[in-house]
Amino acid sequence: MPFISKDWRAEGDQWIKTDDGNWERMKVIECESKNHNSSNDESSSSSPPPHCQIILRSTREIAGFNGLDVAVKRLDFKSSVKNQRRFQYICALLKLLVSGEVILTSLSGGAQRILLQMIEEVALHVNNSKQHINTLRDLVGQLRHLVEQENQKCWGKPLGSQNLWFGHLETIERIQNIASQIEIEPNAAINPQLTELPEECIRKIILQMSDHKDLESAASAWSLMAYIIQEQRIWRELSNFHFNQQQIDSILEKMSLLDTLDRHRNWQTIYHTLRKKYGLRDDFQYTEVLALCRFCRCLFWPMTGHPCISESPEFKEKLEKAGLSFESIEKTQLVPPHQFLKYFSL
Amino acid sequence: MQTIKLQSSDNEIFECDLAVAKCSATIRTMLEDLGIDENSEDEVVPLPNVNSAILRKVIQFCTYHKDDPVPSSTDDDENKEKRTDDITSWDADFLKVDQGTLFELILAANYLDIRSLLDVTCKTVANMIKGKTPDEIRKTFNIKNDFTPAEEEQVRKENTWCEEK
Repeated sequence: MPFISKDWRAEGDQWIKTDDGNWERMKVIECESKNHNSSNDESSSSSPPPHCQIILRSTREIAGFNGLDVAVKRLDFKSSVKNQRRFQYICALLKLLVSGEVILTSLSGGAQRILLQMIEEVALHVNNSKQHINTLRDLVGQLRHLVEQENQKCWGKPLGSQNLWFGHLETIERIQNIASQIEIEPNAAINPQLTELPEECIRKIILQMSDHKDLESAASAWSLMAYIIQEQRIWRELSNFHFNQQQIDSILEKMSLLDTLDRHRNWQTIYHTLRKKYGLRDDFQYTEVLALCRFCRCLFWPMTGHPCISESPEFKEKLEKAGLSFESIEKTQLVPPHQFLKYFSL
Repeated sequence: MQTIKLQSSDNEIFECDLAVAKCSATIRTMLEDLGIDENSEDEVVPLPNVNSAILRKVIQFCTYHKDDPVPSSTDDDENKEKRTDDITSWDADFLKVDQGTLFELILAANYLDIRSLLDVTCKTVANMIKGKTPDEIRKTFNIKNDFTPAEEEQVRKENTWCEEK
């Protein structure tokens, strides 16, 4: 069989620099803009929700290769940072990438740049909203560590392209500047103030918290909160939220508090004992988790869905022919952050 | 469609759908207990603790949420969700207000006993507390540090005790 392909002396693809500093092939951009135009004609400005097809298992015919940068772009991570429901998930991903587990610098240059841009986006968002300050602080700390590590990789210099690295250093510096400049201005003109709310409302607010560290900070901030946080109910509910009855019972037994009245007075201790033994559940912290469609191998955000081949009637017909009913098959699978990274050749 | 008239503290009268007004447990019991006749159109329910600006927002919230399923759980539900970022985008936009309005909404939701509104507003405030240092919390809400140095030491000690492994 002759190998039918373009002559190696052909001109190759034309590449164009995109707005975000990366390169894309001319034909891809033309194709995308054509698609965009045609969809505009049919239904005005209703582009499909962000989704990204991936290759799960590589075969000889299809070499498995999923680009992280492509997925990040297609899944619209950049604007998802501003979405409160997705923020924690994306930050967890970024943390995994920046911390040692998957090393940021082993990614392609384009992916590295995109990820640092995302962290900058996170920093800007945190700066605007003044929320999740600790998440940003963690990320900045990890970045600093990363820079130190990289700087020593090869005779006191980082490995790889110097220009790329200098670009990264600039971005990291910008991120650090944003993080260190976050300043909360107390506003005395607000009426009413938090301190004017009745105690039951403050209690209601405190009951929404799921992390003992936040409770402790709140307790150190204001005497009324400190007073409420001493209440058994806060810690009892927190224990019941993070641990199941079996775990709680076994700890109560260990502390020889089971079926005694004393347990009603020691919920804070019980909570901390439970936490040290079992660890906190972390599945609850992501409100929206990326999902993988099993029919078309698409990653997508469950809230917005994705265009799926299973929606076509022919597909259902085929399934029925195969003796399967459409409803009985599990269609999607949730993808937690560490699983997400496994899909990519890192 | 049946309507009901609500009067705010600054004497503005709002006419709203009865089903919307009944999102408020306070108004619901008031209507049941007082037996306000459903036919008497001119009856006005006075709400002396809510001003017109806030009442307008509350009615807007209830109108949007009037068809939501009523949560069956009682107030003492121990295992209730402690998730604070599952605020829908409509609610998030609705609550893009200054802190004063947010707290007034909490007060109104507490007074009118509208659970969904109280939940979502308290979640919003909880999000403002999360992940901050005590000092940042104080600055965010303009809280004066009302601990004596001895008390501060006491709280600090309790916290370090928690962190012990």
